[in-house]
Amino acid sequence: MDSLIAKADAIRPVTKKRRIQKDSDKKGTSSRPSTSDDRTLGSVSLHTTLPKSLRPTSPPPENVPKYGHIADKKLRTQLTRQSTQSARAKALVRDAELLLAEDAGLMEVEGEMEKTWRVGQEEIAQAAGQEAAHGRQEWKLDGGPYRSRYTRNGRHLAIVGRKGHVATFDWQTGTMHAELQLRETCRDVTFLHDHSHFAVAQQKYVYIYDRDGVELHQLKSHIEPTRLEFLPFHWLLASVGNAGYLKYQDTSTGQLLVEHRTKLGAPSAMTQNAHNAVIHLGHANGTVTLWTPNLPHPAVRLLAHLGPVASVSVDPSTGGRYMATAGQDGLVKVWDCRNWKGAIRTWNARGGGGEVEWSQRGALAVASGGTVNVYTKPSIQVPFAPTVPPPLYLTHAIPHRPLTSLRFCSFHDVLTIGHNAGLSSILVPGSGEPNFDSAETDPFENKRARREREVKSLLDKIQPDMIALNPEFIGSLAPEPKLTTAVTGAHDIPFARLPRLERLRVQGKADETENADADAPAADDDEDNDGAQKKKSTKEEKEKKKMRGKNKALKRFLRKQRKNVIDPRAVAVRAKLEKQRETRRKAKAAAAGEAVERKPSALDRFRRSNK
Amino acid sequence: MVKISVLQHAPSTHLPTRPGDPTPTSRNLDPLQHPFARARERMRALNAAKMERLFAKPFVAALEGHVDAVETMTRKPDSLDMVASGSWDGGLILHDIPRRRKVVHVENAHKGKISGICFADNDRLLSCGVDRNIKLWNINPSEEDMDEDGAGPSTSRSPLKVFPGKTAFNSIDHHRSDSVFATASNIVQVWDETKSAAISNLTFPTSTETITAVRFNLSESSVLASIGSDRTFTLYDIRTGKAERRIVMQMRSNSLAWSPTFPTTILLASEDHNLYTFDIRALRHPTQIYKAHVAAVMACDWSPTGTELVSGSWDRTVRIWRAGAGTQPEVYHTKRMQRVTATLYTADARFVLSGSDDGNVRVWKARAAEKLGVVTARERAAMEYRESLKQRWKMDTEVGKVQRSRHIPKPVYKASQLKRTMLEARRVKDERRRKHTRAGETKPTAERKKVVIAEQT
Repeated sequence: MDSLIAKADAIRPVTKKRRIQKDSDKKGTSSRPSTSDDRTLGSVSLHTTLPKSLRPTSPPPENVPKYGHIADKKLRTQLTRQSTQSARAKALVRDAELLLAEDAGLMEVEGEMEKTWRVGQEEIAQAAGQEAAHGRQEWKLDGGPYRSRYTRNGRHLAIVGRKGHVATFDWQTGTMHAELQLRETCRDVTFLHDHSHFAVAQQKYVYIYDRDGVELHQLKSHIEPTRLEFLPFHWLLASVGNAGYLKYQDTSTGQLLVEHRTKLGAPSAMTQNAHNAVIHLGHANGTVTLWTPNLPHPAVRLLAHLGPVASVSVDPSTGGRYMATAGQDGLVKVWDCRNWKGAIRTWNARGGGGEVEWSQRGALAVASGGTVNVYTKPSIQVPFAPTVPPPLYLTHAIPHRPLTSLRFCSFHDVLTIGHNAGLSSILVPGSGEPNFDSAETDPFENKRARREREVKSLLDKIQPDMIALNPEFIGSLAPEPKLTTAVTGAHDIPFARLPRLERLRVQGKADETENADADAPAADDDEDNDGAQKKKSTKEEKEKKKMRGKNKALKRFLRKQRKNVIDPRAVAVRAKLEKQRETRRKAKAAAAGEAVERKPSALDRFRRSNK
Repeated sequence: MVKISVLQHAPSTHLPTRPGDPTPTSRNLDPLQHPFARARERMRALNAAKMERLFAKPFVAALEGHVDAVETMTRKPDSLDMVASGSWDGGLILHDIPRRRKVVHVENAHKGKISGICFADNDRLLSCGVDRNIKLWNINPSEEDMDEDGAGPSTSRSPLKVFPGKTAFNSIDHHRSDSVFATASNIVQVWDETKSAAISNLTFPTSTETITAVRFNLSESSVLASIGSDRTFTLYDIRTGKAERRIVMQMRSNSLAWSPTFPTTILLASEDHNLYTFDIRALRHPTQIYKAHVAAVMACDWSPTGTELVSGSWDRTVRIWRAGAGTQPEVYHTKRMQRVTATLYTADARFVLSGSDDGNVRVWKARAAEKLGVVTARERAAMEYRESLKQRWKMDTEVGKVQRSRHIPKPVYKASQLKRTMLEARRVKDERRRKHTRAGETKPTAERKKVVIAEQT
């Protein structure tokens, strides 16, 4: 018995195991001196330790919090392990930058006299490699101003002409997927989750086509749509129409999720913030509104321009922190989405009524009049008061006005401009992200990978009620409830079970005047810390000084009053009672022989001071 | 001079070199390249939690054969597949679990119920019953036992040896290595297999109780533990032949099991609906209370890994606990399973057996959503990923709710509600009483400190 207790942590191996144990012991002694005599550890560690190949090679990170204040040992160990792991993971992320194999494009000048914007497209195309030079293209097409849209991986392009010419194709190989002549006004086009489906905003409704151009759905609830956006992680197709309704349709279930009445007329611009799935709308009266499916009113409303807003775009390179707007008043403004007090930078775009578009790496393209200007990052996001354009990076003139759409191709240095005579793609070195993550978007994915991604992304579909201005609220601590249940912090009865008066007091709606004049006869020095104590003493006092038989009617009347209602009669009664109480107190003091406090009078100045 | 370079991807680095090769992948860990990473991970965690509930089909098989309630079960020490069970009708069955077959079936092994069985070694089995006999059986199936169609062995089989006793036996357990076994009746007796009478009697000096169960320690094999009808738990040493110490608890225990990994830890299944683990070095308080059953716990067993426990109860449920976590066990039930009187882990810790009043031995998976059969490496990786996701997001309201919620039969649900109400009322009453006595007069007692009434040596 006692022997068991004495060597309580020794597991004697079963007879069969013993031989193996001996062998290993022998080996152990021959190879290394035995570090511990703990046989339990020896028998267990063989089977429980991580193999060497799986052990972390990096030394344990420093500055890991120790959680010494936590008493629970298990919890403390768990927290320490977690923070060690996360610190290690952070260090590993830094190392993983080695994996970024490809370099971004760039255009640099040597002297101050040279300017990058003087370099024309021919020169860039000549300097570019053979693959990259494919990006410089001109598509001469009839049928009105064109709009375009790339898939998320930048491989496929959908174009739509005002007169009804719709085409989708792989722009790198030049493979045409579908080409349609719809013979009615088409205002916008967007791919759905990938290039296998696309939606077109047509004369009356939104239609969804598959890759081969077969019409799949006619969305009759989207009437006279002007702009379309697809939220890829939520599988929502958002459209806005001439009547000013913003509608969300779930493309995985087919359900019309919600429609918001903007009450601001036909929106002239629409875009999405790719990092929080908020829809930005630009309206004819110069306001920009931010919408989520959960709020019936805009999350943010902003007066951006004095005329109609022509175009809105959100910067993807900073996690949706900056927004650029262009108005018909000829101004281009850059806004900080964390602080809406005034634009960071404003400048005049000659020609007026421009289009704006941010690229993946933060280059801002502005199309106004007959030119496309591209500005690069630090200068457009630094607050700058004068209304002068930032230093120009690249410019390209297109003779076919109007320029109706700008789209950067992701993972390429390509900007596609839609205009009256078709589309032109120009090369903008340094605009595209060089390294893609093939777990997210892969321009080179094959059919099987595309199918798998479709299924995976359907499984990971985020519910629309998770859309908010700050997407990081998921998985963070819930905010403190506003109502506290304990009035003085003394008890912890849930709010619902509190008596009514306590509840009113918690809410700050209780009328405390009665209590205040009933107790506290003289002590009016309110000190917050001894409130409870004061209350206690006054209770005893009250017990002692309970007065019977006087002014019963008035008191009963007051008792019957609801405490939280301010009734003029009750107030008058209260005042009267107070007055009576005061006179009584004075009389009592006089009877006790105390010096009666006199009201200061004008004659006091003649009193003898040495009395 | 202007330096110009335009981004281009070489297709050769991103496309497979030969048809059939895996497509090369590239990684960019920049958080901007992974929008909504947290929201998507939460979605994945929610799906993982739902999938776990979807695949939770724990029932594997019911092994028939007993006419009356199954009273006791034991597994063969060195095998993964053999389990013996004894019943109230006096029947003794040796089950082959993976083949779901009876290897040995002895009807009327004892008159009246078989109260305990244990393996003497690999081919002999000891059983005791209320007919005051201990019988030693050979369990090797002989040729003449088998039927021509292999339907099962015949039932005529005589014991190798009979040890007659004076009183009805309640439990039996064999020493780990020596040919010695202990029985429980009104005293604890130690027997030698070669001798027909008990070699020693062990009893606590003042006790007059009935001993209901007795178990040898697995590591310090001369230490013996017993529980008795007088709400006691007693420790003996067979070398000294004395009872070393005992505790008296609030209510009696129904079953006990030594931990297979921690030699000083013992598990007691108590009549008061709880299970307790004790460290025998400090018997004053239990180290953990396991609370969820709504009726007396009738049987308990450790998993061979020592990380899980299984318990069967009068409330017709089997529950599986993580050692050290006293709440929210996995709960198993079926419509036809009656009061559970015996539970057992299999030796590979993957299955749980329950014997119940309806005479069936049921086989359950120890992890309800586990996939049986071959699991590929990819599948295994996906499972592990799902597991870690669930662990990470268990504090999320929705994920946690899916993970925690279990369907339990209405009577059990109602009983647990009632029990909660009663305990709450008791607690409130206590609190009020304390509030109205002089401050500091009585202090709230920890649940753990209420369990043991007295410790005696």
